[in-house]
Amino acid sequence: MAIDEDPEGHEIRALEAVVSFAARRVLEIGCGDGRLTLRYARTAAWVIAVDPDEAAVAELAAERLPNVETRAIGADDIDLAPHSVDVVLFAWSL
Amino acid sequence: MVDALRRAHRMMTLDGIVVDLHPTASASAIEVGEQVTGHVDAADAQRRHAAADAALAAVLETGLFVVEQVVAFTFYTYGDTIDELRDYIEENWRNARVDETTVSRTRDALSRAPGVRPRSRERIVVTTLRRA
Repeated sequence: MAIDEDPEGHEIRALEAVVSFAARRVLEIGCGDGRLTLRYARTAAWVIAVDPDEAAVAELAAERLPNVETRAIGADDIDLAPHSVDVVLFAWSL
Repeated sequence: MVDALRRAHRMMTLDGIVVDLHPTASASAIEVGEQVTGHVDAADAQRRHAAADAALAAVLETGLFVVEQVVAFTFYTYGDTIDELRDYIEENWRNARVDETTVSRTRDALSRAPGVRPRSRERIVVTTLRRA
C-alpha cells in the first residue's frame, strides 16, 4: 500500500449528488493527474481536462480514455466556443 | 478567479452548471482513527481557499450566477506511516509542512492503535452555480 486518497469515495459521491455527468460535455479546470476525472469521465459525452502541470496532465493522458482530451494549459488559456459545455468543473482550482 | 468564473459563464450552455470544489479555509488535521494528533501547517493554502470563497462571493454579486446547491464532505488521505504521509503532503501540497511535534504525537498514537493508518482530514465544500 502507499498513499491512498479518498478511498471511501466521499468526493465522487458528493459530486454525483449535485450534478449528473451522464452524456454531458464537461470542462474540468485543474484536473491534475486525473484522480477525479477518472471517476466520472466514462459516463460523460466528452471531457476537456486542463491543468498547467504538464507532468500531471501527461499521467491522465496516458490513461487514453477515448472521450477525454487533455490540455496542459492554465485557466486563462482556455478558449472554447460560447455555450459549448454543459458542466464547468473547478476541481480544487478556483 | 472571478475572471475564470466569467469565462465559465460564457462557455456554458444556457442550462449549464458550474461546480466548484475547494477545501474550507480551516487547517487540515492529522489523525489516527478519530484522534487528532495535529494539523498541517499550510497558511498559504488557507489563504488561497479563503480567496476562492471571496471569488465565489464576488461573482455572485455581479448577478451572473445564482447558487443552486452547497454540500460538504470529508476528504481523507492515508499513508502507511506518518513519515510517508508527511513526505507526501510536503511534496504535493503547496508550501505545506507537518511539524515534528505532530509527527511525534502521531507515532505515539499509532503505537497504541495497531493496524490503523495515519491520515489527513480536509473538509471540502461543493458549490453549484446556475445562470441567474
